[in-house]
Amino acid sequence: MRVTTIAPPEASELARAVGVVRADGLRYAYRNGVPVLHDLDLEISVGDIVALVGPNGAGKSTLLRILAGELVPAAGELELPAGRSAAGRVMLGYAPEEGAHFESLSGLENALFFARAAGLRRAEARASVVEHMDALGLTDDAARPVADYSFGARRKLLLVEALAHRPALTLLDEPFVGLDQASRVALIRLLRLQSAKRGTVVVASHDLALLPELVDRIVFIHEGRVAASGRVAELLASMGRTTRFEVDLERRPEGLVGRLRPGITVVSEGDPLVLEAGRGQGALAEVCGSLVAAGAVIRSIAVRDNDLAEAFRRATGVELEP
Amino acid sequence: MTALVWGLEWRIALARRRLFVLNTVVPLLLVVPVATGAAPAVHAAAIYAVLFVIFSTFGSAIPLVRDAENGMTARMLLGGVSPSGYLLQRAAAGAALDGLQLIPALVVAGFGAGASPRALLVTFGALLGTAWVGNLIGPLVAVTTRSLAEAALFTAVCTLLLLHMSGVFRTPAPSSYGALVEAASPFRALHEALLGMGSAGPVGGGGALAAWAVLLAAGTAVFAGPVTRALRRVSRG
Repeated sequence: MRVTTIAPPEASELARAVGVVRADGLRYAYRNGVPVLHDLDLEISVGDIVALVGPNGAGKSTLLRILAGELVPAAGELELPAGRSAAGRVMLGYAPEEGAHFESLSGLENALFFARAAGLRRAEARASVVEHMDALGLTDDAARPVADYSFGARRKLLLVEALAHRPALTLLDEPFVGLDQASRVALIRLLRLQSAKRGTVVVASHDLALLPELVDRIVFIHEGRVAASGRVAELLASMGRTTRFEVDLERRPEGLVGRLRPGITVVSEGDPLVLEAGRGQGALAEVCGSLVAAGAVIRSIAVRDNDLAEAFRRATGVELEP
Repeated sequence: MTALVWGLEWRIALARRRLFVLNTVVPLLLVVPVATGAAPAVHAAAIYAVLFVIFSTFGSAIPLVRDAENGMTARMLLGGVSPSGYLLQRAAAGAALDGLQLIPALVVAGFGAGASPRALLVTFGALLGTAWVGNLIGPLVAVTTRSLAEAALFTAVCTLLLLHMSGVFRTPAPSSYGALVEAASPFRALHEALLGMGSAGPVGGGGALAAWAVLLAAGTAVFAGPVTRALRRVSRG
């Protein structure tokens, strides 16, 4: 494994760097030998907000932990803003899905410790921590010991600790878990601001609902490999302007497929029968009408919108759990 | 790196008031019957030495393993805390806190032995040095363990062995191999100071204690990276 320093921590130089994070052929296996990442390649540009999307166990969190320097890959090359030096760590903001805190100290004291450890002076650390706590709705809990915090408050505190020093590279594992709607919107705004200042953000998530509002690019990860990646619009466009229908048939007459109307494409003749047609409500009526006219009896029909979940399914062949 | 970890350790200790009081009161309660029970000086000194040394080594190793297990060590190091700063500042804060919490017990022990203020001050100095060494031994014990139970077991074994080598449990014959080991042992100074509290006699072992204090600190600074990496492995089983 080789780690290359490609830029010192000055933002101006970072801004000139292309591919602030580059992983090439990363491999990682658990200590029991079970592989997690298989020759994973990834490139993330300065200022991008990128989502790693995949089901549980796909390797998203492992990749984040490698990028954070917590895990060392078994093979492959990794380029980070400032390598794994102390300066590189200070430039990093990492919020794991579950993170420990100093339970007897207040949330404010916890966040101040991490902001100061990342190099902020006392006054600027306090100002930034207070600002981020306020943005995420944690102000009322700031002075209470973390031991008394709810799950949601702990999640918010992790985010404050990761963001308060305004890192060049922010890594957030399932950042929306445990957050109320207002905090989710506030987090998106904070990350957008960070991106506007050429801070790079990588989030791992299997919740697709909020990602289109937040991210510039999405990387689908499945079984430790990049299955597809691109901008949200590109991924959606790659599916074409069709809607997919999964039809469970009560009765399936002989030669059904051949009797379907033109404009309906058969994707799979198995069970369920998978068809594609144009978009909108008219397509559903068209499919149902064609099936009934051909003598089929429909038990149920599932309409697959051309959303990111469907894009993931088409890229990987598996469903993304809700 | 400023003294962030030092400050953190003090804030945590002061925030956990019940534990702070217990850490002060329990040694005191253990010392009182010995100090007021007319125990022979040699036995009293051995009991005090065991108590004070175990207090500092346990207080260092077990929180280290706990923090490694819950991922706090990894978070601090990823957050920008340097490995050497983490270990040395933690040891310094631990030693200072140990010294502070053991003052009442030491005063009672001194009162029981009829110690002069000067003898008490010398003993307190030896106690602080011993606490510093004990807190630096903690990380070495912690990296060899995989759980809190193992940490407690290994600390007890290691501490009792070092106490034995320091002549706390028996006096080695002069010029023997045991006497050489005793002269170089880190806890001899505290034991001798506790033994000499009543007689105001000379205290041996100060040089060995100072050497251990410096060498362990230097070793901790040099090997802080591997030590903290080993500590972080604790959290992954």
